[in-house]
Amino acid sequence: MAIKKDDMKRNSLSAKRGVILLSFFMALLLIALVGRLGFLTIVKGDEYRRIAEEQQYSGSKIASSRGAIYDCNMNVLAQTASVWLIYINPSKVTDKNREDVIRGLVDILGVDEQELREDIAERSSYGYFKIKSEVEYTEKTAIMEYAREKEITDVIFNDPDTKRYYPDGTLASTVIGFTGDDGFGLYGLEYFYDEKLTGVDGKVFTLQDGLSYELENGNKIMYDPVNGEHHVLTLDNEIQTILRSACITALQDNEAENVYGVVMNTKTGAVLGMCNVPDYDSNDPFTISDQKTLDKIAELLDEEEKNKAISEARFSQWKNKAVADFYYPGSVYKVFLVAGAMEEGAIDENTSYTCHGTITVGDRTVKDYNPIGHGAETPLTLLVNSCNTFSVYVGQRMGIELFYKYFDAFGFTEKTGIDLPGEGTPVAGVTYHSPEISFTNSNLVSVSFGQSNQVTPMQVATAVSAIGNGGKLMKPFIVQKTVDESGNTISETEAEVKRQVVSSSTAATVASYMEEVVKRGTGTNAYVAGYHVAGKTGTSEKTGVEEIKYIASFAGFAPSDDPEITVVIVIDAPGGARYSGGDIAAPVAGEVFEKVLPYLGIDPSYSEEELAKLSEPAPNLVGKTVSAAKAELAYSDHTVRVIGSGDTVVAQSPEYGRSTPANGVIVLYTEENMPEQTAQVPNFIGMTVAQANQVAVNRGFNIKISGSSFSSSSVVAYKQEYAEGSELELGSFITVYFKTSGISD
Amino acid sequence: MPAKQLQAEGIYMASSEKSLNSGWRSTLAGKYIASKGGIWAKGSFDTKLFAFLAVTVVLGLLMLYSASYPDAYSEGLKPSYYFDNQLMGVLVGTVLMLIVSKINHKMFMEAGAYIGSFVSLGLLGIVLFIGDADAGTSIKRWITIGSIRFQPSDVAKLALILTLAYILHKYHYLVISKNPLKVKVATAINSLVGKPVINDSFKVVVGCAAVILLYVGLVLIGSHLSGAIIMMGIAVCVLYVGEVRLSWFGLGIVAVIIVGVVAYMAGFIKPYMIQRLVSFVGDNEDPLGADWQTNQALYAIGSGGFFGKGLGQSIQKYNYVPEPQNDMIYSIIVEELGFIGGVAVILLFALIIWRGTVIGINCPTRYGALVAFGITFKLAMQVFLNIGVATDFIPNTGITLPFFSYGRTALIVNLVEMGILLSISRSSRIKKT
Repeated sequence: MAIKKDDMKRNSLSAKRGVILLSFFMALLLIALVGRLGFLTIVKGDEYRRIAEEQQYSGSKIASSRGAIYDCNMNVLAQTASVWLIYINPSKVTDKNREDVIRGLVDILGVDEQELREDIAERSSYGYFKIKSEVEYTEKTAIMEYAREKEITDVIFNDPDTKRYYPDGTLASTVIGFTGDDGFGLYGLEYFYDEKLTGVDGKVFTLQDGLSYELENGNKIMYDPVNGEHHVLTLDNEIQTILRSACITALQDNEAENVYGVVMNTKTGAVLGMCNVPDYDSNDPFTISDQKTLDKIAELLDEEEKNKAISEARFSQWKNKAVADFYYPGSVYKVFLVAGAMEEGAIDENTSYTCHGTITVGDRTVKDYNPIGHGAETPLTLLVNSCNTFSVYVGQRMGIELFYKYFDAFGFTEKTGIDLPGEGTPVAGVTYHSPEISFTNSNLVSVSFGQSNQVTPMQVATAVSAIGNGGKLMKPFIVQKTVDESGNTISETEAEVKRQVVSSSTAATVASYMEEVVKRGTGTNAYVAGYHVAGKTGTSEKTGVEEIKYIASFAGFAPSDDPEITVVIVIDAPGGARYSGGDIAAPVAGEVFEKVLPYLGIDPSYSEEELAKLSEPAPNLVGKTVSAAKAELAYSDHTVRVIGSGDTVVAQSPEYGRSTPANGVIVLYTEENMPEQTAQVPNFIGMTVAQANQVAVNRGFNIKISGSSFSSSSVVAYKQEYAEGSELELGSFITVYFKTSGISD
Repeated sequence: MPAKQLQAEGIYMASSEKSLNSGWRSTLAGKYIASKGGIWAKGSFDTKLFAFLAVTVVLGLLMLYSASYPDAYSEGLKPSYYFDNQLMGVLVGTVLMLIVSKINHKMFMEAGAYIGSFVSLGLLGIVLFIGDADAGTSIKRWITIGSIRFQPSDVAKLALILTLAYILHKYHYLVISKNPLKVKVATAINSLVGKPVINDSFKVVVGCAAVILLYVGLVLIGSHLSGAIIMMGIAVCVLYVGEVRLSWFGLGIVAVIIVGVVAYMAGFIKPYMIQRLVSFVGDNEDPLGADWQTNQALYAIGSGGFFGKGLGQSIQKYNYVPEPQNDMIYSIIVEELGFIGGVAVILLFALIIWRGTVIGINCPTRYGALVAFGITFKLAMQVFLNIGVATDFIPNTGITLPFFSYGRTALIVNLVEMGILLSISRSSRIKKT
């Protein structure tokens, strides 16, 4: 009890000895915690916050939509469409629903049943298995509807996807190219402009919880996608169609290996059409389209060789050879030889040369294809006859330096710079002779008539355009502009003059020679009445091949005095008996000119000779029945107008034997003693020949052309024989006077 | 003599005299109450401590709501599920705290030691057989009676404090005694050494050690490492303040090591406990394993920065920090309230600890002082071990943050402990306002 009492009095002061120490200890611990907290929040705060945000924000891609490709008239060449990807969760396939799942996928999507069964069995522990991609809307709806019906929506799923469509996949496949499974461009324009077509994918960062569920009211950081730009080409579907069908015909008719064709706006360098056949379908680029190649592959027995051949064939058909491949231009090059020589004064219009069929330079003798020789020639006939000996002579007069100067100036030592991938790169000493590397006089002999120096079809197209374009070499292009989704122009290509290669007068002279080539020389097969086609043919021998093979080509433009289009046709290794450019390439070009020029709204302008050719004496139709008369006239382009209700023709205008334009009108009277039918004379002033003729025929008149007619569409009527509104008998002739309305350079 | 002391003693006197007239004084309870000087404490209420507590409890509730609703939601519970339960705990706990704060702390002496130990040890034993395990573990820690679910170790910690304080108070004369222990072996050792190294205080030390071993042993058998650590800490603190000589602690440490080794070999210390300690030493090699929780807590704390993201703005509580309402709630507090908020929480605890220490120092009874220190130190330990874990300062031990972490028994026990502190405070010679 005494001790207790003592204890009460002493209170706990004696315990203080440890309490102070303990308190100090506790304070120290708490201060340590504050220090630690400061270190974590202030020093390490940014680092931890970054790690935390990395796990808290989940970034997902918002795919940008790939830009479309249009022709110059906004026809779709390539566009991206929505499709779906169907996949399943194999781990959710049970014994109960297995048959439903398999039936649906097999019956609706056409999946191989055997393979599907195996795949599902093998992947029973997997959560994802892709069934089919690029599934169309209807198919996707059908399978998802089926899944709902059978209550297997936990097995079958779909994801939105995109697919590149080419409405006409073969039309310009080598130009447009195609995209891979991942949507990126692999060939052609799809590859060249891939970045601009792709745009920039957007991203959305959403706040998610630790189990990867999106937080409902969480922050969202959005980066909007920038959609790809739509590309509007200078290519014209109509012209491309004309060009390609002409090329395919040429390929088949001549059993050729390849045919390349280029149609270009002569003055701007805009490519209106470009094709290489055989080509492929951009929608299905891996299928080999050329039957000959397929046959050859089928013959191969070794599997490895077969695969190699298939792979080679694919690369070959994908290649845009019109810009990628080199060939010897042959006589086409003489155009540039003559232009350069005239520009330098090495020759002039009156330079005369006598061709004996051979020419000897040093120890080398060149034979012309005409063994007798062309006799006395001028530069005009050099081209008209495509004379090799004269060309060698001109080359010698120029010398290596000057020759090379124009080879270079016409753009044959550089890429044209067209906005297409895979353009062939000229290499000095490899594709052409350069004075710096190796250019002997013997080489000069060969290159003068287009052998030994290699060029691409695209280079020839731009160089020959320079002749038609007053000597200005243009940089070719194929994308006219890019536009955004609302159609606003983002960028536009301006025609770019690379340089003045020769003077406009030299160019005009050579152009007139080229027109003569087509009118009466080797290029007559390209002749199109009324359109003044100027051109040059070429035939070269291929080197480095086992058997003798040729390349036949034609390069030209029209109308010659004010050209609208340039056409280059190259036929590679024709297999038939005919292989010269004039024989087989010129007619292809002629067909293209004949169809494209009217399509472009260019009126023919006929020369007197042409008109004379176009006119013929009116046949005697009197006494024949109306139907017989019509049948007879159906052979010509005459328009028939029947007056009266009789069955037999009793009179006609123009009368029998009178020269009448082939596209004029013949009036047939079927009743005796009928008063002559008349009509009012229309106004022809300001019309072109073609327009005037059309108007006249519609009224029932024929026109007689008077005045300048050698020039083309710039020629218009300025005077007419009968005043507008005067009454004239149907079938009458009205003389209309034409002259050049403007001065062209 | 300070007026306050006189006043305090006077009050005791008055209350004893008053009880003489009561009829129930002849019963056992009556005699006990009479011997303690009455049921009710007479000193004034410690509004300072109460104010600190009030702020802490309210902030705790607020932060618990913020931290717990995503977890409740993702478990398919009502978003306020944890908050509602915790609020219930706060209400019950506060009522108990206020009642306890009115009781004369001497009332707890024998009652606390005997009844407390009986109940606690009983529950610790029972839980080993009929307890519920935490989800994902086989460790039985919880006793569920109807809708009440609690951990016996929460109650046992308080009982241990009360028991040790009682022993050290009652046998203080032995603790400070220099008389040699009259036991043959001790006499032999003493005569061998030449001075009385083993004296009467050994009796108390052995007694206390037996009690501690009983408590900690049962907790360890229940595989509750953190509980055992806290109990050891509390025991050491109370013994130390109870003037037990330091040399005995050396002996104690040796004893603990021996017990630890034996416990491990007997399988009472489980591999996961070692794993927890090892994961602290290792360097984030296992992002989804033992370090996941710690790392996520660090990201939360780092994200908070100096000012925090703002109340309710934590992202880490959305299934990144596992069970953010429990052990790691401090990391969510810092994420939302920043360094400032984190320091504020530590400061609140520091104030309570400071107040508890002052109450203890100024308590007129050794028993009151020891209990006050025990409770205060227990709080300090819990705070340090919890925040230390959340800040990756010490190994992960699984100790909750008092007044903040979810858990009704722990909360109620903590509040009752504060009630005891408030009751001791009434008799302390300190300014209460």
